Amino acid sequence: MKLTTLTAALALAGTTALAAEKTLDIGVSDALTGGAAVYGLPQANAVKMAAEEINAAGGIKVGDDTYMLNVIAYDDKANPTEASNSVRKLIDRDGVKYILGFCCSGATGAVASFIENEDAVMLVGNAAERSITTREIPNLVRTRPPADYTGAAAGTFVAQKGHKKVAVLGALDIGFYASYVDAFEKELEKAGGEIVTRESFGLKDRDMTPQLTKIRELGPDAILVVGYVEPAAFIYRQAVELGIDVPRFGFTSGSEEQFLRVATSEQMEGVWDLRPTELTLLSASDNGIAYHANYSEKYGIAPSPSSPYAYDQTYALKDAIEAAGTVDDTEAVAAALRELPVPDEVVMQYLPVDGKMFDVNGQAYTSNGAFQWQGGNWVFVQDLPSDAAAYSAFLSTID
Amino acid sequence: MLKVSDLRVSYGPIEVIHGISLEVKEGECVALIGANGAGKSSTLKAICGLVPAKAGTISFEGQDITNQSGHAIVRAGITMCPEGRQVFPQMSTVQNLRMGAYARSDNEQASDLEDMMNMFPILRERAHQAAGTLSGGEQEMLAIARALMARPKLCIFDEPSLGLAPKIVAEVGATIERIKKMGKTILLVEQNSLMALRLADRAYLFEAGEIVLSGTGEELQSHPEVAKAYLGH
Amino acid sequence: MIEILQQIINGMAIGGVYVLIALGLTTVFGILGIAHFAHGSVSMFGGYLTFFLVVMWGLPLALAILIALVVGFLLGVLIELLAYRPVRNANHINAFIVALGLTMMVEGLNLEFFGHEQVVIPTDFSRVFNIGGVTIPELRLYVILAAALLIAAMTIFVEKTKTGQAIRAVAENRDAAILMGVNVNTIPLVVFSISTALGVCAGVMVGALFAIAPGIGEGLVVKGFAVLILGGLGSIPGAVVGGLVLGITEALAAGFISSAYKDVIAFVAMILVLLVRPQGLMGKA
Repeated sequence: MKLTTLTAALALAGTTALAAEKTLDIGVSDALTGGAAVYGLPQANAVKMAAEEINAAGGIKVGDDTYMLNVIAYDDKANPTEASNSVRKLIDRDGVKYILGFCCSGATGAVASFIENEDAVMLVGNAAERSITTREIPNLVRTRPPADYTGAAAGTFVAQKGHKKVAVLGALDIGFYASYVDAFEKELEKAGGEIVTRESFGLKDRDMTPQLTKIRELGPDAILVVGYVEPAAFIYRQAVELGIDVPRFGFTSGSEEQFLRVATSEQMEGVWDLRPTELTLLSASDNGIAYHANYSEKYGIAPSPSSPYAYDQTYALKDAIEAAGTVDDTEAVAAALRELPVPDEVVMQYLPVDGKMFDVNGQAYTSNGAFQWQGGNWVFVQDLPSDAAAYSAFLSTID
Repeated sequence: MLKVSDLRVSYGPIEVIHGISLEVKEGECVALIGANGAGKSSTLKAICGLVPAKAGTISFEGQDITNQSGHAIVRAGITMCPEGRQVFPQMSTVQNLRMGAYARSDNEQASDLEDMMNMFPILRERAHQAAGTLSGGEQEMLAIARALMARPKLCIFDEPSLGLAPKIVAEVGATIERIKKMGKTILLVEQNSLMALRLADRAYLFEAGEIVLSGTGEELQSHPEVAKAYLGH
Repeated sequence: MIEILQQIINGMAIGGVYVLIALGLTTVFGILGIAHFAHGSVSMFGGYLTFFLVVMWGLPLALAILIALVVGFLLGVLIELLAYRPVRNANHINAFIVALGLTMMVEGLNLEFFGHEQVVIPTDFSRVFNIGGVTIPELRLYVILAAALLIAAMTIFVEKTKTGQAIRAVAENRDAAILMGVNVNTIPLVVFSISTALGVCAGVMVGALFAIAPGIGEGLVVKGFAVLILGGLGSIPGAVVGGLVLGITEALAAGFISSAYKDVIAFVAMILVLLVRPQGLMGKA
């Protein structure tokens, strides 16, 4: 893949060799293998695709120079140690100053802990742990909103549906899933509802029938599933197999393909996914539709719903470099990111705060949506009641 | 029938059998006697293919069987009833007996099993009991019967009376006598030299890995050195 | 009451898988004294292969399983001949290291051939039976029945056939088995091919019920050894009882105590059993 990017860049260099053309290496650290690769690999692909598009459209213009992007991607397996190593390698060996990707919170948190001391800018994608943007790290921004921002909106939505007794089954030993549920619970309780049990599962668990049997005995009027796509798909399937017929809500961000590998469409029918308004064809803007088509053509597989977080990073970086007028001064580029309006090319539907894509914390907000599985597809049903400005103010109070 | 010539056996660098020769003729009962560690058991193990022969030849019915694998030697017609009985402890008496006939492919095993039960009535009583729960004497009978189940041409007994009560030892002696009368060829190793020499047509005396004396059972019984060293009179 | 019954049914499917894994491990251990760590990864290879045949080649599931079984038999023979036979007469630590190396190798091959993505073997069994409030999905029912069938077949093989008895005999007393005329060179081949084929069945079951992914096999083999210790080393009835006990204990622990600690609880239960019966549930003292 690296090779094709390079050859594309070279081919372009051949046709437009008039201006002074330079190459700007940008790095990606993400889970390309292992369990988290369902999120990480599409992100890396999205960055590469965005870079090719930018190159094809004439590259990044800084003064008289034109920079063609070259993507160097390393596999961090969503593992904190591996991520630290791959970022060190990018900065120290490859001389990279701009690092994108970052699908998963554990690995991202490890890198975030030292990135402030580096002459580099870090753009976080799908990792949802709130603490990544609570420390106001000046050279870090994140395209995906924190989990609890979405959790609160989801809680309000489920309460509005009239559900009082909600049973939770989630990967609750993972911080941002727990914080989603906490924020969910707060809103649910405001409406007089309650969480009747919190059951958890491990990343490698595939048999959820014991937990679901317990939940079945409690007789809840809805269940909430938070966790990675693969275990979540088993929960939805096994819930049907155990004859649980209450509404199933979830926070998983999986594509149709990912779910259908595990469960049948009938078993998925009616499941809700309450999440940031990511990529689905029905809710997508023109950009989103084009993104879906281009990605599918290029990689032979549909993009995962969360992959545009990384695609959007690339365009935000382009605009910020052009606004700062430098590729070398990372402080200026980082500052420009914080002042950036939402770029035209982005796929996600960002809710700007004070007209800017990223708030003072470096955090971007998308709208949240309620998606429902209907006849084999995720269908966008409605926006969730989300308040980006209020959450941004709340985020600034945490440290 | 069995001919061992200049056999040498070593465990690692240590040679324990220093070139012995012996012979067992068809229908004979031959005893190997001698002190512990004199090399009797090592000789048997080499014959049965459990330990390799370093030098020399072993032939059976004219065929060279030196260093053949254990299962091939069993198929050639040599069966050993090992020291310490070595029954399969968690298998039943009947299963142990059937294992004895493992190398056979005829269909007379059921009737042989019946014969063994008749010959050793105690085994019928214990037929479905795990062999490990049988008494020492019962296990010895089982081991002997199991060896006979192979319908061996040559039946080797390694220390059949070791560790048994005197009354049972006598019973074992009587049993071997019966087997001899059935016309089986027998090679017997026994620390109870008196019993061995009484049973044997011929015998070899082992000392420190060599054969120092041979002759008929009666000759050795009356040999002054043997009488003094091994028969206690 | 329904809840308890449901949890027991829940645990039986994975318990059946544990039994099949443990049966392979216990026969290999009984004969050769080898802790065959690669067994889990080899089992997953069988599951991957079945997936590949069904999804990529479009073969019917039954045919794919049959092919995977044959491959399993051959693979078992190869493993014995190439990996374990050369170290058979060496120090036990050698076989141990070979086992670890083999595990990494097979895991690596799985990754190379089948990729890192989770794989689920597609089946047409999506009906759900409801018996007095206890639900049994069709697929789980078949898995439990197939496991029971394989356990019965294995028991009959070991107890009633000559080769099966020879396997037991070698396990109980190798030298005596040689004296009975058992060829101790071919018995390990038989044992490895049968246990690998059982492992392949377990791999297919895991792949159809749940999913196969890198690392799953290693987790299973750890459970398999837990079953061995729980049931009694080298004991076939022990593997059956131990596997079901572990599977059901896990389900009950997850359902009634804590899903987060179900593995911990299962292992604590195992330790408690061993305190009372150090030889395992069915082991001989």
